[in-house]
Amino acid sequence: MASVAQEPASREPGGPEGPAQERRALPGWRAVGARLLALREGSIIVIAIVTAIYFSVNTSNFFTGENLETLLPYFAPFAILAAGEVFVMILGEIDLSIAGLYLFAPILFYKLNTSVGLSLVPAVIVALLACMAVGAINGVFVSVVGVNSFVVTLGMLFTFEGLSLIISKGTPVATPGGQPPLGTFGKVFGGGTYSELIWAVAIVVILQIVLMFSRWGVYTVAIGSNKLGASEAGVRVNLVMIRNYMLCSLTAGLVGVFEAVRSATVQPNPAGPNEILFLAVAAAVIGGTLLTGGSGTVVGALIGALFLGILKDGLILQGVQATYLLFYTGLAVIVAMTANVFVGRVRRGQTGGG
Amino acid sequence: MAAEGAQAPQPGQAPPPEPVVPVASAPDDVLRVEHIAKRFGPVTALRDVNLHLRKGEVLGLLGDNGAGKSTLIKIISGFQKQDAGRMFVRGQPYEPKSVDDARAKGVDTVYQDLALIDELSVYHNLFLRRERVLRPLPLLNNREMKREARRALDEIGINIPRIDVSVARLSGGQRQAIAVARTVNSDADIILLDEPLAAMGAKEGAQILDLVARLKAEGRVSIIMILHNYVQVFQACDRVSMIQDGTIVLDKPTAETSVEELTKIVVDEYRRARLAAQG
Ligand SMILES: Nc1ncnc2c1ncn2[C@@H]1O[C@H](COP(=O)(O)OP(=O)(O)OP(=O)(O)O)[C@@H](O)[C@H]1O
Ligand SMILES: [Mg+2]
Repeated sequence: MASVAQEPASREPGGPEGPAQERRALPGWRAVGARLLALREGSIIVIAIVTAIYFSVNTSNFFTGENLETLLPYFAPFAILAAGEVFVMILGEIDLSIAGLYLFAPILFYKLNTSVGLSLVPAVIVALLACMAVGAINGVFVSVVGVNSFVVTLGMLFTFEGLSLIISKGTPVATPGGQPPLGTFGKVFGGGTYSELIWAVAIVVILQIVLMFSRWGVYTVAIGSNKLGASEAGVRVNLVMIRNYMLCSLTAGLVGVFEAVRSATVQPNPAGPNEILFLAVAAAVIGGTLLTGGSGTVVGALIGALFLGILKDGLILQGVQATYLLFYTGLAVIVAMTANVFVGRVRRGQTGGG
Repeated sequence: MAAEGAQAPQPGQAPPPEPVVPVASAPDDVLRVEHIAKRFGPVTALRDVNLHLRKGEVLGLLGDNGAGKSTLIKIISGFQKQDAGRMFVRGQPYEPKSVDDARAKGVDTVYQDLALIDELSVYHNLFLRRERVLRPLPLLNNREMKREARRALDEIGINIPRIDVSVARLSGGQRQAIAVARTVNSDADIILLDEPLAAMGAKEGAQILDLVARLKAEGRVSIIMILHNYVQVFQACDRVSMIQDGTIVLDKPTAETSVEELTKIVVDEYRRARLAAQG
């Protein structure tokens, strides 16, 4: 066990150095590296590729179709959650309540379907609208009332995890539409093998376009960068902030339903959602979104989630015991973030000079 | 002056009755501001301000640091709401509900803090809140914004080598030029400039004043400009108004006043305040 424990740890300091040495040796690599580092997502792309290469060299079956299917649920849900979270983090705020809504949405969906009698699609839509309403309340508290976002959304997190426990009476519920054999609904909403991947890619692409090429995106960056200036220029700060919180809550509810359908049951236990919340925030931060606001990327969050997925999957393939997984994930997040800081410095140096 | 010093309100005594400040006006006013008051908690920023702006004129707004100049500008620009008083634009009651609303009524502003977004590019800043969109898609027409930004900045003549870099990388003077360009480039016909020359070198300052002179010659816009440098005031302004103690203490065409008179008002006030403070 000791040897298994040491191996990945000894790899990690070498990880980020790998491409640097290659760049020194090959002039072609240097140009590619420079282009890559000029991107905000550059460092996480490099880190994710290096990690994937490491696991494909050190395990026999990393790049197999079968393993790819195992990998998907390790990152697609986080990518969607992180995409929504990025819109809040660019504002310089945080949304912790996504874990609460992740749990609450499928339980509300269950209740609407079984007790109220709504059919599957309307029940999902109403559940998601309820999530967006919670997001709007978060947004109003943060922007209009001016309460610290960490505090407001932490309160909402507890409230909705608690509400989920109350509604479900603490017992697991069978997800409607998630029971085998899966119908169209189940296949589209998370049950199909590639369902979450397709949703994740579609959501990330759309939100990245919104962020970079729409007024909404420009105003989001403006508020995170200079809130007073943005409002002096006429940006409706409160409206944009409320809207971003609604988006973030929507992605949380959506992923909650997907995961409930995929696993056929909802476990009303806050531990799982809480871990997912932290991984989603980690994916966004590793991907290059600043916790301080003003800057962020949805695509980076997707790659950050992919990195975390590759890491978990690779460690399992290597035969690392389940008890060690969290420990290594923690170390890897620290290493990845440190690499990010260094790459960020290189990037600023480069662009500042050129 | 000694008598005035003795008049300063003593603690516990009722303050002397306020003199009624006459409302200044002219027949061709585009903007009129009457009896504006604004407090921030215990601080009275504006007590009773009357101001008017004639069509095509450049009005210099003077006053010490903290006199309330920026506060007055923010009230006119729709960013803050006055506690009391009324405003009129082209004779119509003017109650801007927001900066956008003021802009729709033809009032646009360069704030003292410039309201630039460091993380956004020069052209995104220039078009902030007036973005060009690829209709019918709700996507930004970056190419058109870049082209128009280039043209607008060249017109002003300030050297901004690249417009696709973030404004965080620009010098203080360049940033100020972009803020001025943003406002001048709007459709506004009442333009408020809060210390537009503060961070500028002599050459860039002259360029902005040339721009103001050009706008004035075109006769379309009327301008209120806050300045601290009296040489620039006499160079650029048709008329000056000075705020002191939350009210306008001087309102004269520049031709009828002098650097000496303006300086004397400021120095007298300073002496009076010091005497009052000594009791
Ligand atoms: N948002 C605010 N909250 C509290 N006090 C304020 C606020 N804005 C302005 N003040 C106060 O109002 C007074 C007038 O401020 P203002 O910024 O209008 O002065 P100014 O004439 O523009 O000064 P300067 O020449 O230094 O720019 C000051 O005492 C200031 O401290
Ligand atoms: Mg000021």
